[in-house]
Amino acid sequence: MTAVVEVPASFDDRSFEAFAAALAAQDGTGRVLVDAHATEWASPFGLVGLLCAGRALAQRGGGKPLLTVPADADVARYWAHTGFFEQAEPLFEIHGAVPKRQPAETTVLLEVTPVAVAGDVHRVVDRIQTRSAAILDTELGLDAKATIGFGMALSEACQNIVEHAGTGGWVAVHAYTWRRRLGRRVVVIAVGDAGVGFRHTLEATQARRYGDRWSDATALEAALIHGISKYRDPGRGQGLRGIRMWAERWKAKLSIRSGTGRIVRVPDWDEDVPLADGLPPFPGAQLQLVVPGTVREER
Amino acid sequence: MIAEIDVRAVLSRSMCEFHSDLVTRATGRAVRSGIEAHLQEHPDVTVVVLDFSEVRVLDCSCADEVVAQLLMRTAGGRDRAVYFVVRGLAEAHADQIDDVLRRHGLALVGEERGGGTRLLGFVTDLMRAVWEQVVRAGSARPEDLAAELAWPVDEMHRALAQLAERRLVIPAADRHYLPLTAA
Repeated sequence: MTAVVEVPASFDDRSFEAFAAALAAQDGTGRVLVDAHATEWASPFGLVGLLCAGRALAQRGGGKPLLTVPADADVARYWAHTGFFEQAEPLFEIHGAVPKRQPAETTVLLEVTPVAVAGDVHRVVDRIQTRSAAILDTELGLDAKATIGFGMALSEACQNIVEHAGTGGWVAVHAYTWRRRLGRRVVVIAVGDAGVGFRHTLEATQARRYGDRWSDATALEAALIHGISKYRDPGRGQGLRGIRMWAERWKAKLSIRSGTGRIVRVPDWDEDVPLADGLPPFPGAQLQLVVPGTVREER
Repeated sequence: MIAEIDVRAVLSRSMCEFHSDLVTRATGRAVRSGIEAHLQEHPDVTVVVLDFSEVRVLDCSCADEVVAQLLMRTAGGRDRAVYFVVRGLAEAHADQIDDVLRRHGLALVGEERGGGTRLLGFVTDLMRAVWEQVVRAGSARPEDLAAELAWPVDEMHRALAQLAERRLVIPAADRHYLPLTAA
């Protein structure tokens, strides 16, 4: 029997929990249909999250999962623009007409791109710096210094996959307007994998130190706040710390979800829970960085 | 002897393709190995200027591998003292290098693209003040600096010895100390 997991109509980091809960409720014995036919919008986080779900479902058995294409032609066309279907095709049995991919819109600063080895990180950073630096400058008011930092943050986020996930993942960068939440343009970076997650990565060196408090949330706290890595070298564990410092400087929102935990660096323009535990389990780690535009005017 | 090393050129050779971005730990290791190989081939080199002018993005992992690990691996060299200066830094690069050096308790002289020179990494306020005075003077003896800053001479001796030990100034003849920028 095929179980159905619905993709929320508006699929982003907020509605992701409903999706994760529906996915976690599957017992893993049968085939799963990931139903996106009624989905009207998806953020980069949503698209990357779907791919992570596809990989996790494929890994746990029960047959290749199915995915329905959004019924709305504009939505399906946008997903095609983002390069989502190319990445989804090996993971899902796709049902519905997949639109032909057209040249990417300017809102798609980086298509959904696989990341597995260091060379992928180089290509991702190069593409952003070469093709999108002008957009980051003109549309978002991020100056050269912020743009270089943007490349650094992107690089470090992707390296987490290469160094720790134990499997490949994906990255996507889009720019759009948050009318209701912020009233201005934002750039959103989403990086995700369906790998081992933060808790497993740090388990051997940190679990005993934390004792009963050890969890996905405390593992995230150790990595992001305390800069702890699985290596003893003080030079390690600087990547996430570097992203956090860059986010603080440019008033960006940084969130990382792993397993049942989620940690957020909450900027003053947003309201969110800084540290959450006991969320529906979801494999690997998913990072999101929201960078508000017109930063130049605020300095 | 002074060696100027174009870090972007080392990057391209190490990666066997054209790149301007110093990103990923693996890339950093490869670039550092390239620099170390150059130093082994040129045993007479005592001052190394790492030129970052053509580097676009520098991430924390690469800054750690290229700069911090290089300093640590050459710090114990008994055969010769090698002094490092980083040049052509964008402000964002300087911030990255400063941060990784602080984590290791290291420091080195950095020249930014605008021409400003400063110490990056971890040093005490006293050491920084003394270093700035040496840079301003171009060459200085502990007694002269102590008089200029109105500090005890023995304290100045200690500060300069520490700066020299960390290879941030060069001890010269007649008990003079030279800033690396003048080297």
